[in-house]
Amino acid sequence: MFMQLDSAVVLAAGEGTRLRPLTKHRPKPLLPAANRPILAYVLDALVDAGIDDLHLVVGYQRDRVQDHVGPTYRGRTVTYHVQEKQLGTGHAVLQARDAIDRDFLVVNGDEVVTAAMVEAVMDAHSETDAATLGVVESDRAAEYGAVRLDGDRIAELVERPEDDSYRLLNAGIYACGPSLLVDIESTERRAGERHLTDAIADQIRAGNTVRGVRIEGLWSTATYPWDLLTVARDLLASGHVDEPERSEGVYVDETASVHGDATLRAPVVVGPDAVIGPGAVVGPDTALGRNTTVDAGAVVEGSVLDIDTQIGSNATVVDAVTGQAVTVGPGATVPGGEADVRVGTTIHEDWRLGCIAADRATIGGGATVEPGTLIGPDARVGAGAYASDIVPEGAEVRR
Amino acid sequence: MCGIIGYVGDSDETLGALLEGLSNLEYRGYDSAGVAVGGDDVRVEKRAGQLDVLETALDGRSGSFTGPVGIAHTRWSTHGPPTDANAHPHTDASGRVAVVHNGIIENYRALRDELEAEGVTFASETDTEVVPHLVARALRRGNDPEAAVRAAADRLEGSYALAVVVAGTDALFAVRHDSPLVLGVGEGERFVASDVPAFLERTRDVAYLDDDEFVRLDADGWTVTDATGTTVDKDVRTVEWEAEQTGKSGYDHYMLKEIHEQPRSLRQCLSGRVDELDGRITVEELDELGDPATVQFVACGTSYHAALYGAHVLRSAGVSANAYYAHEYATAPAPVSTADLVVGVTQSGETADTLSALREASRRGAETLALTNVVGSTAAREADHVLYIRAGPEIGVAATKTFSSQLVGVNLLAAHLTDRNERRRDFVDDLRGIANDVQAVLDESMAQAVVEEFLDADAFFFLGRGLDYPVALEGALKFKEITYEHAEGFAAGELKHGPLALVTADTPVFAVVTGKGEAARKTIGNVKEVEARDAPVVVVTDGAAEAGRYADHVLEIPQTDDRLASLLANVQLQLVAYHMAARLDREIDKPRNLAKSVTVE
Repeated sequence: MFMQLDSAVVLAAGEGTRLRPLTKHRPKPLLPAANRPILAYVLDALVDAGIDDLHLVVGYQRDRVQDHVGPTYRGRTVTYHVQEKQLGTGHAVLQARDAIDRDFLVVNGDEVVTAAMVEAVMDAHSETDAATLGVVESDRAAEYGAVRLDGDRIAELVERPEDDSYRLLNAGIYACGPSLLVDIESTERRAGERHLTDAIADQIRAGNTVRGVRIEGLWSTATYPWDLLTVARDLLASGHVDEPERSEGVYVDETASVHGDATLRAPVVVGPDAVIGPGAVVGPDTALGRNTTVDAGAVVEGSVLDIDTQIGSNATVVDAVTGQAVTVGPGATVPGGEADVRVGTTIHEDWRLGCIAADRATIGGGATVEPGTLIGPDARVGAGAYASDIVPEGAEVRR
Repeated sequence: MCGIIGYVGDSDETLGALLEGLSNLEYRGYDSAGVAVGGDDVRVEKRAGQLDVLETALDGRSGSFTGPVGIAHTRWSTHGPPTDANAHPHTDASGRVAVVHNGIIENYRALRDELEAEGVTFASETDTEVVPHLVARALRRGNDPEAAVRAAADRLEGSYALAVVVAGTDALFAVRHDSPLVLGVGEGERFVASDVPAFLERTRDVAYLDDDEFVRLDADGWTVTDATGTTVDKDVRTVEWEAEQTGKSGYDHYMLKEIHEQPRSLRQCLSGRVDELDGRITVEELDELGDPATVQFVACGTSYHAALYGAHVLRSAGVSANAYYAHEYATAPAPVSTADLVVGVTQSGETADTLSALREASRRGAETLALTNVVGSTAAREADHVLYIRAGPEIGVAATKTFSSQLVGVNLLAAHLTDRNERRRDFVDDLRGIANDVQAVLDESMAQAVVEEFLDADAFFFLGRGLDYPVALEGALKFKEITYEHAEGFAAGELKHGPLALVTADTPVFAVVTGKGEAARKTIGNVKEVEARDAPVVVVTDGAAEAGRYADHVLEIPQTDDRLASLLANVQLQLVAYHMAARLDREIDKPRNLAKSVTVE
């Protein structure tokens, strides 16, 4: 029985600690998916699927979310619910409890989904079900919430099982009955947090109907900073980009200024007010955010450059993710390629990553950045210096 | 000041549309509000106090407030204290004519004497009340309602936007002279209002009425005529603003929302106007603008601080320039010739004093330019040239993002007036970086923590020199208008010529020190003077002159071009004012006694 839902609760309160240092000033949903925030894709999918009543649970750096989304999104009312402490996804959903009195959707704000997926979940859900989950086939299921199906029922729901036999992952799109709100409250806390998936797992154990619906299409998310490169590649490959297509795979905003002697290699997207100078080569698999600059003769490849980032003349930037307003000086080199990347105490081996440069980091003219380097916010790599491994927030690397 | 709205459409919708409109116009004034619903008869309800007082009074009685036409008003007192009697709408003795009015009727005393001599009794102390009595007299003399309203308007001197309903007539009449009035054309419903947000949720198709135009709205449509009664063709255009842009989106106050919008509104202001590759600044709207001998800025309030800043920027670039208070200029103008340019800085484009000053300048033959945020506003239409700052609607009474965009706007103007083909890559680079520099201030500001230190202070002083002087004035204005604490801004050099007598250990001093030139060095000298009087010192600085060494607290800003550093310093002071007011639990978006745009002189 088809069920059109009116309301959706979008979870946008979490920082995404594994995405540090990019999340210093904004939560994960606002990190760039190609040249727009991930959250914009989520909200578009909901609105296109007919959801008129949007509820955003905000917390970590909530000013940024509120400023970006505003009081309504594409004409639909947005109500904000503040989760002061991030005590789990279940706790987040509970913040919107007073606004919900019938079946509703819950969607993660940090995973790119499509309207067709949202519709598929609503199609499969009926009022007699405790919950219905969208599931996606993936060989990386074990890194996310993994799922086993029994027909159209969810038989098992387990977080990061570290067991390669799981082939389906929880896509983070849930249709829920209002009673689930009560169930979340009675769900046992894990490490002080209440999780939506625990509440749903309780429902499965209690024998209530929790459906799983296989959904196809673009589903993409970032766990680690370099995953943003994959997200951008996925979006560009599927043409899921909202800028006008100038030639095949080349998307350029009308307000961008691309010099006649610059080369754009598909797939590539160039955002509003971006500037590309003569002789510059941008792409493939590259997304330039609003107000970015790639100066004369610079080469940018396989990279995501967020708002206000400036690449100096003759610089080379390969496989890099930048935060907002990163400056790369003339002739600087981020050669890209595979590297071992350290996050916290874990070493991730052989990841293709030029560098991560967080908000307002500076790479000086003629500097070289070794593959896999993480540069913190406001950090500086001096002119002609050589940076590798980790450059902490505000630190300076000198020649 | 006041805000008016008129509605013609579905009888059951009238009251709802009016209350919705009032709620959207509340930022214009809010010491009383009222509605009148017309048709066969006219029913009026009005109350002193904020809008919810009126809503409570109407609770459960909406059934008796149905009718095809209606008018409503939020008032900010100019004549008479806020009381139920003084609230609009005003009616004649029979209660068959109801009027809402924005503006001031200057000859109301003479008209009132004349009417009282004929035996008319007045119920209020307002200037507006003469209007319904004049309309009623014209009706008694055999005029039809439209002719009666015209006859009344003909007698008025001063500024007014009027909307009138008459019992037995399913039409609404409105006319303007020197006060703003906009027509909104929806499906099956039509509006007039002081400002577009009043009906933006219902229609985005609008026509701006010009001075002395008269509009009749009824079920069949709308007709605009000029003062002689000749029909005028009006262009209906679609406004680009979203109704959504008038909500608070999860922020506690519009002011905080607008402070956070600045990176976006600044990018919008600069979009297409700065060419980074070429290093040039081009403002298409100014193509026709010549090379003036001198430039005079006229403005009031926050816009005056932008004017002071603009005059300084122009003088530094070798153009003779001065800033004047518009209200002073209107009565005592500076000498001006046809070779000169007079720039009116007004966020709303409706500031009565600034319009008067521009008109006076125009009358004396000067070229005029409006630097404004509102497309189609009176200033934009009347001036020879217009430069839009593109900040989007601003609802908080305390101007924030529009001030920042005004500062960028005057820089664009200065670049245009001084060797417009010059390549200035460094400045263009810094302009393109300004949005992010503001973001950096928002991300890292310590203002909220700093104000905690001063909750019990006696008074607050703000110092600055050169381009930081207008910022000191603006910092103090923002602070006093929303915290209600005593705050003064001074030119730093003026300190020892008097104000230093006020400085004590209980008067924190905020010193703005940007760059490392002579001005910064001298201001640091002033900082030491107040330190010697034990005053706590907060320095707002880019660190270039190491002023932080002499301060108790430092509010840092990123380094950039000197002209733009002042803009960044101001953002810190916006946050200081906001967080202090929030801490003191003030009504931040609607400070007492103040209105967003001052449309009377």
